[in-house]
Amino acid sequence: MRLEEGWVPVALSSSIEAGTSAGAVVAGSEIVVWRDTGGTAHVWEDRCPHRGMRLSFGFVRGDHIACLYHGWQYDAAGQCRYIPAHPNLDVPQTIKVPLYRVAERYGIVWATASAQALLPDVGAQTDIAPVRSVTIDCPAAAVRAELGLEGPISVITLDGDRLLAAVQTVAPARSCLHLVLLDAAPGPVARQKHHARWAQALRFRLETASEVA
Amino acid sequence: MAQPTLYQYELDEASYRVRLLLSMLRCDYETVAVDMFPGQEHVKPAMLALNPQGTLPVLTQDGLVLHGTAAILMYLARAYDPAGRFLPEAPAVFGPVVTWLGFSETALAPALQARLAAMFAAPGDADALRARARAAFRTMDDHMTMRHFDGQDWFCGDGATLADIALFPAFALSRDYGIDHDAFPALRRWIRRVRALDGFITMPGIPDYH
Repeated sequence: MRLEEGWVPVALSSSIEAGTSAGAVVAGSEIVVWRDTGGTAHVWEDRCPHRGMRLSFGFVRGDHIACLYHGWQYDAAGQCRYIPAHPNLDVPQTIKVPLYRVAERYGIVWATASAQALLPDVGAQTDIAPVRSVTIDCPAAAVRAELGLEGPISVITLDGDRLLAAVQTVAPARSCLHLVLLDAAPGPVARQKHHARWAQALRFRLETASEVA
Repeated sequence: MAQPTLYQYELDEASYRVRLLLSMLRCDYETVAVDMFPGQEHVKPAMLALNPQGTLPVLTQDGLVLHGTAAILMYLARAYDPAGRFLPEAPAVFGPVVTWLGFSETALAPALQARLAAMFAAPGDADALRARARAAFRTMDDHMTMRHFDGQDWFCGDGATLADIALFPAFALSRDYGIDHDAFPALRRWIRRVRALDGFITMPGIPDYH
């Protein structure tokens, strides 16, 4: 699924620490997922309007993200606010990074370019514990087929636990599976590790299958 | 003990591994710049007389001549880190540290080669090298994913060791040869911890956030 088509899972919330940024790719579109020091997540096109540098290579300062190349700083609305080479310049409103809608639900950061799309809903869930995001060199459809998912997100039962599986299309032959544990008991480390190992085994199985194919 | 002398090339990842440790150890040293590219001085008679393997870096001190990055790191830890912070004595930590040091010399060798091929047109099948480097980063990311569940920030033990120093540069520089950090969330978290260590220094390709 592309960002224009609906809400796409782009990271585990726990993987994007406050004051940091990460790059991601959704169906070929490069995005930057970043969290300001106040804790709010942002998803933007991963391109500085100045020279096209990926903003995910840059750094977060408060509620601004700065480009690594020339330090141009953008506020939470994507508006350029400061150009170090012209410290006294009132920065033109036209220097703006395209933003995506962003939401956090079930321990996952979601993004979309669609104004209408409804956020995925699998009912109220409590005691969510992150497992991991695992990148797999195979089509998203193959991941969904292996897990028996109808859409990009589904609750699955695995070795006695309920998990949420959300699949991100990265490229035609690359996907990312985001996995969180639901109804986690206090101190869920053993179960988190168990399912993280399961995800590694799944990656091996799917990649071996796609090599054979 | 006289100051050690490091024969090195500024843009070489292996040389940076040693500079990084020397900086964290607050150890003063002399450097001799060896023109690896385009000069190929590391495989010419003057350097071959010092290190017949033709590899960089080379460390000399009080008549000793050491080569092999992991060996140099271990030597410096023994010489300048008497408390054993970077190379702990306890077998339960020492074992994993030297295992990852071995990994840094073997599994990460394609990563170093991929970078030299990308930046200096050194020989090598770029796609194959990149695939092997990516496989090594996966192994590291899987390991650090598990470590994080246990509340651990470092590859081994409770603090930064030689393992972290030897493994950091290849991943931090991976964009030089076309491997993004997107697919390695546990390593992204880890390199931020390494960057925050006391005595951390950068090299070209590893930005200094300002």
